[in-house]
Amino acid sequence: MSEGFFLKAENVLFTITMLLYFASMVIYFIFLISKNDKAARIANIIMTVGLCLHTAALVIRGIGAGRLPLTNQYEFATSFAWGLCLVSLIFIRKYRFQVLGAFSAPVIFLIIGYAAMQSKDIHELMPALRSNWLGFHVSTAIISYGSFGVSFVLALIFLMRDRIGENSFLDRHIPSREKLDLIGYRAVSLGLLFLTFCIITGSIWAERAWGSYWSWDPKETWSLITWLIYALYLHLRIRRGWRGKSAAIFAAIGFVCVLFTYIGVNTFLPGIHSYA
Amino acid sequence: MLKKAWNFLSSMRFAVILLLVLIAACAAGSFVTQGQTLAWYTQTYSERTAALIMALHLDDVFHSLWFIVLTAFLCLNLLLCNVLRLPSLIRKWKSAGSARTVRAHRAEAAGRGEKDPDGLFQRLGFRHVEKDGDFRFGIKNRAGIWGAWVCHLGILLVILGFGLGQSFKEEYTVYGVPGQSRQIGDTSYILTIDAFDVDLREDETVRQYAADITVRNASDGTSASGTAAVNAPLTMFGMKFYQNSTGWACDMKVEKDGEEIQKETVCAGDYLAIKDKPDLLVLFNVFYPDYVMDPENGPMTASSELKNPAYLYSAYYQGRMLGMNALTGDEVLTIDEYTITFENPRNYTLIQVKKDPFTPLALIGGLVTLIGLILAFYVQPAWIRAEKNGDEWITEAGSRKGGALFTEHFAEEAEKEGMTPVQKEADAVPADSQPEDAAEQAKTE
Repeated sequence: MSEGFFLKAENVLFTITMLLYFASMVIYFIFLISKNDKAARIANIIMTVGLCLHTAALVIRGIGAGRLPLTNQYEFATSFAWGLCLVSLIFIRKYRFQVLGAFSAPVIFLIIGYAAMQSKDIHELMPALRSNWLGFHVSTAIISYGSFGVSFVLALIFLMRDRIGENSFLDRHIPSREKLDLIGYRAVSLGLLFLTFCIITGSIWAERAWGSYWSWDPKETWSLITWLIYALYLHLRIRRGWRGKSAAIFAAIGFVCVLFTYIGVNTFLPGIHSYA
Repeated sequence: MLKKAWNFLSSMRFAVILLLVLIAACAAGSFVTQGQTLAWYTQTYSERTAALIMALHLDDVFHSLWFIVLTAFLCLNLLLCNVLRLPSLIRKWKSAGSARTVRAHRAEAAGRGEKDPDGLFQRLGFRHVEKDGDFRFGIKNRAGIWGAWVCHLGILLVILGFGLGQSFKEEYTVYGVPGQSRQIGDTSYILTIDAFDVDLREDETVRQYAADITVRNASDGTSASGTAAVNAPLTMFGMKFYQNSTGWACDMKVEKDGEEIQKETVCAGDYLAIKDKPDLLVLFNVFYPDYVMDPENGPMTASSELKNPAYLYSAYYQGRMLGMNALTGDEVLTIDEYTITFENPRNYTLIQVKKDPFTPLALIGGLVTLIGLILAFYVQPAWIRAEKNGDEWITEAGSRKGGALFTEHFAEEAEKEGMTPVQKEADAVPADSQPEDAAEQAKTE
């Protein structure tokens, strides 16, 4: 089968995935309006099916390209949406927290929408990118960004809950402030752990490809800034008064930094990481 | 006064300040283009901004003295924090498994029931149940208390490895075309480029660059050979050889009165000094393999194929530019009695040679940091105790960071075991409260 066949198949799957994420977002919205639990369950199922098709799209693109689909803006954006969806579903399942999906679905849709605007052309890899470390480095970044995305969504939920106050629907569907805070902390922990993995694998790879494991390239520097911001979040949590609302605001700011590391650096601060 | 300074240097407040300043410094270093001149900054920004950049060393943030001092303070803070916390952590580690310690803990979750509590112990992951009469207890994930300590140690090792590497590493570049030999910096090693291969795909994109090299130690005559390719550096004589980059080179032939007096291989960017007249320099600026003159962009190459080679040169005499032009086809450069011919264009390779014995230390530091984070986040110390009160067992438990999630999990598992969960006061603790270990860390402030 030709590369064209795989590209067409990926395109079809990608479009269906986008539609499913959109449908999931709409049904989650209906759930929030109608307060009908059944809608949340349906939206969750649709999101899960979307993730399965999204996985298939990535696998097919990988087969068509003959490499991991993690090397340009389109591939990383679609993988980012995939990672956020995966981590969201894990957290929804682990903490039985359907409302999380209602807030993460729009973010997933926005990111996959950004991916749809990028060029889907498959290009051959330059020598520096032809490394087994690429898979480790970028896949850990995806899980890390996905986790930080979930922490951002949890922060929004926390702030919304904090603002609305007592509400029977929210009390029934959203965990207590303390529990929300802890779940957010766990999302940040997962993100920071994988970001550390990402920086270490990236450094090992950079040492092999460029002869230097740390060059203060803008992408490296902003990965470090992101790491330091979340390290600061953890330290401030230990201090009295930096939990709950303050921690939620900090987690939200942290995700803005993640987005800048991902999109802003490539756009405004080109360096040796600017491949796409 | 000294004690106050000491306490501050080891405090978490200082750590937070350092992290904030480091974040700001790194952001500044990424936004301000590094390594430019005052003239460049003046042209790009404004005179005042340029002066500020130079005054604050923002033109080279990551090598500036203030950044190094900042990093040194971070190391000091991490070191003091770890040294001061070590005795209490050892005490905690040793005492964690004793019945007395477990008895003294404040419970976060509790349940009561007539059934033997061993089942609940197992369900909650407490594999070893200690028994002391009617008192039973268990602890798990004790190693988790070391998480932050190990993480700090790892960061220290990373900074130490990086700092020592920056100070003591040896780094050289050697470039040339196949057949050329060059000394590696001021070492006794001679590097010979045996071959250089640019592996192209059908669409002319590059798959791989690979250089076959031989390194000979002139002092003892030993030699070794191998291939250095992108992503596959070569290690010889304790040095690493990287296929770093490539460019165009050519032969420059100098004739005087029709007789060849000089011929040298020159890489783009290098110059040739005429032997007879050392003040006369010819700089080989750029090579265009498929030369075209674009009305908007000036000289450029249409493809990477050798279809219409052109050599852009500039000539200088006693530092004064004589002229600049591109030579195509059979064109030659004539200056006074000298005729200079550019010919035989081919790729040169640039090999980066590096010796950094501290890279493994930084790598170990990174891995230790990772282990520390795993311990801190995913090995959560927890304890459980059960005591018989008449016919009923009262089981209580707590965890280091589990909070409400641990309480909920305990309640679910207790119900499965037929126990009745008991609401503890801890459940009502507000979200902005301080956990047990945090209080201990905050003591250092």
